[in-house]
Amino acid sequence: MFYLYLLLALAALVIAIFSAPLRSKVWVAFGVVVLTTLAAAIPAIGVLMGASAVTIIEMQSPLFGAESLSIDPLSAMMLLIIGVAGIATTLYSRGYLAGYLDKKSSAHISLHYTSLVMMIVAMMLVVVSSGGFSFLLAWELMTIASFILILFDAQRAEVMRAALAYLVMMHIGFVLLVAGFATAHSICGSANFADLPQCFAQGHTMLIFVLFLLGFGMKAGIFPMHVWLPEAHPAAPSHVSAIMSGVMIKTGVYGVIRVLQHISVASELHTVGIIILLVGIVTGLWGVILAAVQNDVKRILAYSSIENIGVIFIGLGIAALGMSSGNGIIATFALCGALMHTLNHSLFKSLLFFGAGNLYSQMHTTMLDRFGGVAKSMPVTAILFLIATVAICALPPLNGFVGEFLIYMGMFNSVLDGENVLAAAGGLIALALIGGIVVLAFTKLYSTVFLGSPRDHHVAEAEEVDTCRIAAMGIPVVGILIIGLVPQWAVRVTNSVMTQFIPYAESVMDIYAGTTLTRISLVALTVIILTTLLFVWKRRLQSTRTVEQGPTWGCGFTAPNIRMQYTGESFAEGLESLSTSLTQNTVEGRTVEKSEIFPSPHNYNIRHKDKVDRLFSAWWMEMLQIINKRIMRLRTGKINHYILFALVFLIAIFLLSILNII
Amino acid sequence: MAILLNTLLMIVVALSITGVINRTRAVLAGRKGMPFLQHIYNVRLLLRKGAVYSHTTSILFRIAPAVYLAAAVVAVLMIPVADLYPLISFDGDIICLAYTLALARVAIILAAMDTGSSFEGMGAAREALYGALIEPALMIGFATLAMFCGHMSLADIFEHEQSFDLHYTIVMFLTAYLFVEITFVEAGRVPVDDPRTHLELTMIHEVMCLDYCGIDLAMIQIAGWLKTACFAMIAANAIAATCCFHWWFAVPLAILLTGLSIGIVESTQARNKLSRNTTFIVTITALSALIFFIGYLLQLNINI
Repeated sequence: MFYLYLLLALAALVIAIFSAPLRSKVWVAFGVVVLTTLAAAIPAIGVLMGASAVTIIEMQSPLFGAESLSIDPLSAMMLLIIGVAGIATTLYSRGYLAGYLDKKSSAHISLHYTSLVMMIVAMMLVVVSSGGFSFLLAWELMTIASFILILFDAQRAEVMRAALAYLVMMHIGFVLLVAGFATAHSICGSANFADLPQCFAQGHTMLIFVLFLLGFGMKAGIFPMHVWLPEAHPAAPSHVSAIMSGVMIKTGVYGVIRVLQHISVASELHTVGIIILLVGIVTGLWGVILAAVQNDVKRILAYSSIENIGVIFIGLGIAALGMSSGNGIIATFALCGALMHTLNHSLFKSLLFFGAGNLYSQMHTTMLDRFGGVAKSMPVTAILFLIATVAICALPPLNGFVGEFLIYMGMFNSVLDGENVLAAAGGLIALALIGGIVVLAFTKLYSTVFLGSPRDHHVAEAEEVDTCRIAAMGIPVVGILIIGLVPQWAVRVTNSVMTQFIPYAESVMDIYAGTTLTRISLVALTVIILTTLLFVWKRRLQSTRTVEQGPTWGCGFTAPNIRMQYTGESFAEGLESLSTSLTQNTVEGRTVEKSEIFPSPHNYNIRHKDKVDRLFSAWWMEMLQIINKRIMRLRTGKINHYILFALVFLIAIFLLSILNII
Repeated sequence: MAILLNTLLMIVVALSITGVINRTRAVLAGRKGMPFLQHIYNVRLLLRKGAVYSHTTSILFRIAPAVYLAAAVVAVLMIPVADLYPLISFDGDIICLAYTLALARVAIILAAMDTGSSFEGMGAAREALYGALIEPALMIGFATLAMFCGHMSLADIFEHEQSFDLHYTIVMFLTAYLFVEITFVEAGRVPVDDPRTHLELTMIHEVMCLDYCGIDLAMIQIAGWLKTACFAMIAANAIAATCCFHWWFAVPLAILLTGLSIGIVESTQARNKLSRNTTFIVTITALSALIFFIGYLLQLNINI
């Protein structure tokens, strides 16, 4: 019955969007998303405030038996994240697609909006499904919808390639998930998440966990399955990247948390914790280093999503280790950090991708070294992007710091209490290094794009985007500021979620985290107030003195020009020299030779490709070529050799038949 | 009262270290040298000046010094002076301290890039890389202290009963050494960076504020002193905790330890080739991990 309703709703959606006039298609989609969010948010907020879990519908699935759609605190939190990001994305898409309305056919636009709504609803279904058939159905719906969304610019060859790669990889993940659910079903007769403890009780924990980790990890983009992210995000329209990167990859995280929730044996939790922690460390470091060396705005953002997934996994790993040793303080801090970081990342990453969308729609490029000085032509975008940059660098006074601070607190508590000290120290080093390199990556991004002088005349003539898009970007900014400035209130969202894992989490949060987070909020406010005071003081002093404008000091060189500005490529050069083993560089054009006294115009383009890419694309081709080359040695072209081969063959047949082998 | 005295002493430390460095260098070079307070006179002079801003810069360039100084002030407010108590202190303030200093770094990097000068870009790129590489050393240094002392706030970490404990002394001296090394990097001193070099191509910190003058430059210099004072005081606290945990011991120790070591190193050593700097900083990180491990082993021994 439920599936019939789903089909009817889908049909109604298609009719509504396809029949709407071209310019109001967006408002139909927006209306549906807002209504769905409201419908989901009301029970979700209730559940988060402490009401018991809500069951929406119970049904009989064709494959795995009884299932239900229900909202527990974890689903409720994810529903809110999806809803807010969905509203912002749909609102943003109006301005972004306005430029395409006369280029694309009406059906094309309708298809895009239908998929957008379908994807948002499918993500909501994913987080409320109790498991098994309905979960897989919603998961597949989400994949298909996002595939269509990526394909928006399908006439570009690289978009087609990226979308197909995405589709293939997602289905490898899907098969793993099916295998996971089928294994669970065959062991204990149920494929619901809630019945996983019975499967685990029969000693198949690691098998099922690893299957789910790989299946969900494909979506979340854990190393080495992250290769679809940096291809798909630059190919997709920016609002699609925003929701995919901000929210969709979190459904992978959600799945892992969901499975983790039902593991209760300490020794298994310990192993699982170590696995998740290691995955997090490798993913985080790989993501951030690759992010820092990229030359494309959206690629940097895509790799930084991988890094943030790594950070979340580090938090989850520490939380699992804390739970395995029965230490509620470690587990509460780390889990709260991981959940907060999930929420935070959805906010600032959508904001960053919206910003990238503004850049692309006004200047038609995402190549980092073409920009420069955009802060002057697009001041509002520049300010919003700066907020997101500070947030993603995890700096006080914004929200990124709160999540990472809680994860750090989990690790420090672990070190303090002498539990899993070396694992926690490993996480600590990794997180600190990630934090440092994120600063490098995002100062590079921000300063190359928004600061300095324009490197291109398109950039110099760009105009600010419409207010609708600015309004859409305002939604995540509100969240960023609230969580950053009053974290002691914001973390309450996670309290009831954590109670599902650690029964006394709420009291731990009240006793330990409450005071600490209040202080953090004070520090954040102090920084802001002090900055304002100092700035005002300086302006007052300067008001009576001569303040002049002049050219930038060229260190004695009298003819500097715009092309001599420090580029993003040169900014990350130091890190590149340290990370050559992770990347494969492709260079087009050539550098200026020392012998050229009067250099002619040169074209130089360098790309830093991920070495793991080869794991999925080129390696088997290369293997084939190498084997071919070996075999080709036999083709000598001399008749006597060929006679020799025939002789060897005959002798071999003769010997084998004597020995009765053939 | 203790909080007020703590803050005042931190300011004294911040103002004195540069003086001690200058005196040490003068004495070792056999010069008469500048007066002890010369650097303060210089900054006072800067505070009286107007300003010239580049056409290229945006409003960010003018706010950045305020952010830089504000972050440094907040960092200073978190540092205890031996047995006194800092204004801001809570569980986890060590993490907050590290990230507040990172905020300062981001502000100054963005400001440098805002000028569109390739020289300042060079400085910014180096600062970003070295800052990223030193971060793990700082965190692991804090983790060593936290693990060995059982607290997560700087004010509690150094509280220790006065009886002599060999393991404690070893770990504390090693950590103090680590923090002096970190000071070299964070303060932009030889062998990582040379504030007196005459060639912009080889500068790091100094080249980032080439376009600043007047009050802005004064703010940046004051913030630099405050940052140095933070690390100097942590190192001094670690040593003071092992023998004589009183402010009247820790304050001169902080000034002399950092001032003399920077002064002596600057007089006897040349700065690194820039390509050697990454090795130098990663070595500090490796050292910090080693100290953490030693601390871990020693602590296990205590429990047995």
